[in-house]
Amino acid sequence: MTHALTIRELTKTYGNGVRALKGIDLDVPPGMFGLLGPNGAGKSTLMRTVATLQDPDHGSITLGGLDVLRDKDATRRVLGYLPQDFGVYPHLDPLSLLDHFAVLKGIADKGERKAMVEALLQRVNLWDVRRKRLGGFSGGMKQRFGIAQALLGAPRLVIVDEPTAGLDPEERTRFLNLLAEIGEQVVVVLSTHIVDDVADLCAQMAIIAGGEVLHRSEPRDAIDGLRGKTWRKVIDKADLAQHRERHTVISTRLVGGRTVIHIFDEHDPGHGFAEVDPDLEDVYFTTLRRAA
Amino acid sequence: MFWEFLRFEVRSRLRQPTVWLFTAVFALMAFGATTSDAIIIGGAAGNTAIDAPIVIAQMLGVLSVIGIIVVTAFVATSVIRDFEQRTYAPFFTSPIRKHALLLGRFFGSLAMAWLVFVGAAAGMLIGSKMPWLDPQRLVGTGLDAYAWALLALVMPNLLVMGAVFFAVGTLTRRVLFAYVAVAGFFVIYVVSQELISGLDNDVIAALADPFGLTAVAVDTRYWTVAERNSQLPSTGTLLVLNRALWLGIGAAALLWTQLRFRLAVPNESGRGRTDEVAAAPPVEVPLPKVHIASGWRVSMAQCRHQIRVELSGVLRSTAFGVIALFAALNTLGGMYASIDDMFGTPVYPVTSLMVRLIDGSIGLFALIVIVFYAGELTWKERRIGLAEVYDALPMPSWVPIVAKLVALWAAIAGILTVAVLCGVCVQLSRGWTHLDPLLYLQGVYVIALSQWMLVAALAIALQAVANHKYVGFLLMAGYFVLLQVLPLLDFERALYRYGSSPSAPYSDMNGYGHFTTGLAWYRLYWALAAVLLLVLAGLLWPRGTDQRLRLRLGRARANLRGPLLLAVLAIGAAFASVGGWIFYNTDVRNRFVPSDEAERLQVLYEERYAQYGGLPQPRITAVELHLELYPAERRADIRGTLTLVNRTASPIETLHVATFPDFDLRALTVPGASVTHQDDEVGYRILTLEGPLQPGASTTLEFDVGFAEPGFVERDSVTSIVFNGSFLHSTDFVPRIGYDRGGEIADPNERRKRGLPERVRMADLDDASARANTYISHEADWIDFAATIGTSTDQVAIAPGYLQREWTEGERRYFRYEMDAPILDFYAFLSARWNVARDRWNDVAIEVYHHPEHDMNVARMIEATQASLSYFTENFGPYQHRQVRIVEFPRYASFAQSFPNTIPYSESIGFIADLRDAEDVDYVFYVTAHEVAHQWWAHQVIGADVQGSTVMSETLSQYSALMVMEKSYGREQMRKFLAYELDRYLSGRGREIQRELPLIRVENQPYIHYNKGSLVMYALREYIGEETVNRVLAEYIRDAGFQQPPYTTARDLVERLRAVTPADRAYLIEDLFETITLYDNRTHRATARKLEDGRWEVEIDVETHKVRAADDGTEAEVPLSDLIDVGVFVEREVDGVTREVPLVLDRHRFESERETITMTSPERPIRAGVDPRVLLVDRNPEDNLRPVEFLD
Repeated sequence: MTHALTIRELTKTYGNGVRALKGIDLDVPPGMFGLLGPNGAGKSTLMRTVATLQDPDHGSITLGGLDVLRDKDATRRVLGYLPQDFGVYPHLDPLSLLDHFAVLKGIADKGERKAMVEALLQRVNLWDVRRKRLGGFSGGMKQRFGIAQALLGAPRLVIVDEPTAGLDPEERTRFLNLLAEIGEQVVVVLSTHIVDDVADLCAQMAIIAGGEVLHRSEPRDAIDGLRGKTWRKVIDKADLAQHRERHTVISTRLVGGRTVIHIFDEHDPGHGFAEVDPDLEDVYFTTLRRAA
Repeated sequence: MFWEFLRFEVRSRLRQPTVWLFTAVFALMAFGATTSDAIIIGGAAGNTAIDAPIVIAQMLGVLSVIGIIVVTAFVATSVIRDFEQRTYAPFFTSPIRKHALLLGRFFGSLAMAWLVFVGAAAGMLIGSKMPWLDPQRLVGTGLDAYAWALLALVMPNLLVMGAVFFAVGTLTRRVLFAYVAVAGFFVIYVVSQELISGLDNDVIAALADPFGLTAVAVDTRYWTVAERNSQLPSTGTLLVLNRALWLGIGAAALLWTQLRFRLAVPNESGRGRTDEVAAAPPVEVPLPKVHIASGWRVSMAQCRHQIRVELSGVLRSTAFGVIALFAALNTLGGMYASIDDMFGTPVYPVTSLMVRLIDGSIGLFALIVIVFYAGELTWKERRIGLAEVYDALPMPSWVPIVAKLVALWAAIAGILTVAVLCGVCVQLSRGWTHLDPLLYLQGVYVIALSQWMLVAALAIALQAVANHKYVGFLLMAGYFVLLQVLPLLDFERALYRYGSSPSAPYSDMNGYGHFTTGLAWYRLYWALAAVLLLVLAGLLWPRGTDQRLRLRLGRARANLRGPLLLAVLAIGAAFASVGGWIFYNTDVRNRFVPSDEAERLQVLYEERYAQYGGLPQPRITAVELHLELYPAERRADIRGTLTLVNRTASPIETLHVATFPDFDLRALTVPGASVTHQDDEVGYRILTLEGPLQPGASTTLEFDVGFAEPGFVERDSVTSIVFNGSFLHSTDFVPRIGYDRGGEIADPNERRKRGLPERVRMADLDDASARANTYISHEADWIDFAATIGTSTDQVAIAPGYLQREWTEGERRYFRYEMDAPILDFYAFLSARWNVARDRWNDVAIEVYHHPEHDMNVARMIEATQASLSYFTENFGPYQHRQVRIVEFPRYASFAQSFPNTIPYSESIGFIADLRDAEDVDYVFYVTAHEVAHQWWAHQVIGADVQGSTVMSETLSQYSALMVMEKSYGREQMRKFLAYELDRYLSGRGREIQRELPLIRVENQPYIHYNKGSLVMYALREYIGEETVNRVLAEYIRDAGFQQPPYTTARDLVERLRAVTPADRAYLIEDLFETITLYDNRTHRATARKLEDGRWEVEIDVETHKVRAADDGTEAEVPLSDLIDVGVFVEREVDGVTREVPLVLDRHRFESERETITMTSPERPIRAGVDPRVLLVDRNPEDNLRPVEFLD
């Protein structure tokens, strides 16, 4: 009953000449899958294409035996989708709007619909405000509503774009748990810039940039691959340019007013650099640097 | 900072195509309106030049009303855009920037709207230089007129609208509320347009109109053609006040925006914020397993739910509440304004009137709602950011389309319901309880709503295809323009103008009659088209995130297959079949005559047969007719025999006969004559008599014609034969002898365009040869008349003459009428189901045949008839008949007309007048008296076919009616009535299409022979006395009544009047009859002092001018030595109410321009001045009097 999402040679060029996808090949097994990439990487194009919202120029997408690009209606019946920008009808309340979405999703049985809607509202902690107008909701509350609608029905493919933006830490945890729970049986594609989300949750991940897949691995393997090759040093801001010339600087960040840099080097570079235990962020930036 | 924002706004707008698109569209509209008669915006009529300053002002002014679209697109959205596109944050960083931001945005976007209109003005200017324009219709107006129109009308209009929409849009942050404000502007505009029809409301109307057009109209309403062609409409004080008022409102709106606007992140609607719930312990409810279904039933359920959501979104929104409120105000405004039907007298609020008013007042309003709501509903998910989720749901694309369409329909139905409720309230509040729910259902919810439903389907489809809200709006605007313009470009068939159908006028007598058949077929035809459009919309529905038209087209092609393709083909076939059936009815079973074709036939008629214009022909001396009317089948068979006598001195060899295309001529025979020329194209036959008809000899012409209109027609359905209330005029079907000039094209512009020679509208007053005929008939003098009419058994048929016999034969009922004395060749037939009210005056029987429900004013009509018969027999001479019959006919025409002893009287001009308020002008009495007077003035004395002859029929009937009315209602009501006559005369002058003539030379111009005629005769009677006037008229009837050719002329009448006018006022005859003379009288100051004997000495400072107008409207002052009344208004108690009544104190001879006059008033004066009763034609009668200042 579980099927993988298979993406083959997906290309897309927009009307204004922007080549958003340049031949994406990706196998996404059931479970949580993290999609990392900078702005303009083609993430959203890829997500929307998988979510049946637009057609590629070439390529194929299948979910098990289902041809996503051809049989859109069948795909939509098993799809849960939460885009980055999500609005609601302001005059409705969560209960009626979620029920409305349930009907549109095709949950025809009234009893099933009621149970599902009520369960979801409790899971996203909107049960107490289920009869309040959505127009008055804060951004986080709307986001939680968005999560609820994405999980309606019996999705086999869930696509969520920046889902944890605007959630407080507790909400985030709860949401990730929810995803993880359904993620055991279905394909969940999580597009995010929060590397920790992927690190915490995803068994598999890919990094895309410039319309291409730069990296595809399990996060743990990727991190292991960088072990012994990532180095850290605290420097003066004035010295940053000099360091950039000499080393492959993965990332710079400010810690207590001083600049901390990570570099990639197969060997110990010396000069005050200390080995550091790499994390997924190092993987991400290393991948992008190498591609640049 | 302000300039920075302004520059930013301008730069970013100029980079978008929208500004240029709008500029191009408006420039083209203005160019088109100037260069062709096909596009009419404001516009020139008759002799007013195409580029007259007032035409430029009106046209640009009206365009600025349409410019509401531009303003909403640019100005209203300039700040909302930031919210919709979520780009507000960077701009809202520092509060100091607020004012600069708002004003910069506002004026930047307003400048773009102005730019569009500079383009429109340029379009007009260039258009007026085009070589193909008729140079006679141009005056070469300079740039100042364009500048005036832009600066005085257009720019302030855009500024005011912009400020209000900007304020509403910016403060509510909802563009929908800006649309609501748009609707508000239209309501105010429409109501002000309706207010202007009442004489007392014009100042309010002029001030209330936000666009200033009413102010211009009021300021210039009495302008003559010459003034229109040369003057800037800049002098009016009303316009200045109007501009000040509205600019003030605009400034206030801007100021309010400045004060109230907060640079804060938007909170959707601002109300009912829900606070974050305290972090409750997580409830780990397991998610239940559910089943996802698909298929037809699921889609239906989805559609039902989506409809419910859309409906609750529309109907429960504040915006809709405000719109409904506006709709109510608009309808009520229309109902209260239009209910003043004639002379300020209201009519009873019968349901058919309410339905008609709802149709009229909701029309424009429904269009706005449809256009804007279609845009809002279609893009709702996009606007709120739900589109991506929504588009990825497993439902077919038709679900949202149907749901949005149904919501739109419900919104229109809701607004119509509001209007209906208003109608019912108006009815009940005026004490009218005969409500007709079925008629509301039929007229509003079937006929009107179905029309709007079609338009709504188009609006949604265009939005879907355009995939852009404002482009969708523009496409709809294009559709409305095409709808208006196509017919004028000779594409007039409803078959290719989406949503068009034959009109279905309602009559209380005949209901919707036969009109519903055609209407239903056309509605079905367009409904099928609407389905096809919606399928197209579904195929091109922009679903998802990359919706270039090319991609959507490709997908549409791919999806149009299988059962859908079959369904489309089937609907297409049904559409084509219904279209074919319509065509079969309108063009095969009936004849469709394009309007151009009708004019072409007129040209042919003139070109081919004008040569026979003066040909001697025998005269008709007797008519014997047999009519078979089949009202239920709308069919008639008519046989007739005309007796013809050669009254000329020489033998007549050929007989020329004109026939009628609507009627099928089956036979036309003259003994011993053969047809030597037959032209069925224009309907003309020449018969050659075997032996010429010798002088004094007679012959007969027998004809047999049939009329039928099987199935239905697209337009101009014949209304003379209907289910109930047939009214056939002899000139509709009786073949006519000789060439008739009446069939020629009269409009001089149209004649020039078609290369016809200039045409004299009427023969000169002194043309002796034209006196051989009356102006009514070229074929006969006085005739013997008899007719038999058969009709259905439930109806009564009426013809002039006396009923000799009535009998039934099978399913037919027959009536035989014979006239016992010769009558004019002018008769008609009627058939309907009536109630009859009977009364007498001496030995004259009075009968009123009326629709059973229209019995309200029948008694008045009888009283008016009695009073008229009494006054006329006493003062003019005996009545030639023994009977007066008033016969009601449906409102397809709204006039009353006098035939011998028979007065057909439209249901629309008196039967439902509400005369309960004794203050109102009793126009039922007036119309009845006027028509009865025609039994003397027309049916006894009839003028020759020359200028001035309608004086003897219409002007004298007006005079007669005024006298009868004054006897019954007093002088006060006359003053009110004459104020309307003065207004109609003065505004009629400006609309003259050829030239104004003095009364004695009137060429059948209603504003002269009716309205000026009333003023002239009333003044004459005041100056020389009623007895003198009546003595002349009695002698005139004695001498000219029932005369044989040569017929009398207005010269004869005027000379008789001159003979009895005292020498000291001889100038009156010249001023009133022989020239166009106007006065400009005014009082500068009026003072009063109480005398010791209790009377008052009143002193007035008066200025008088007298001008003569030439026939092109140019005026020249003439010296004055005239007798003009001076007097005061005093307060008197009349019937328990204090009222101001005029008191004429002296008739003073004015010899110089400025005079101070002292007079003595027996009562305390309130106002004093010159010509207090306005006997003289004066364009500003209100300044004749001044409030009195008291000197102690």
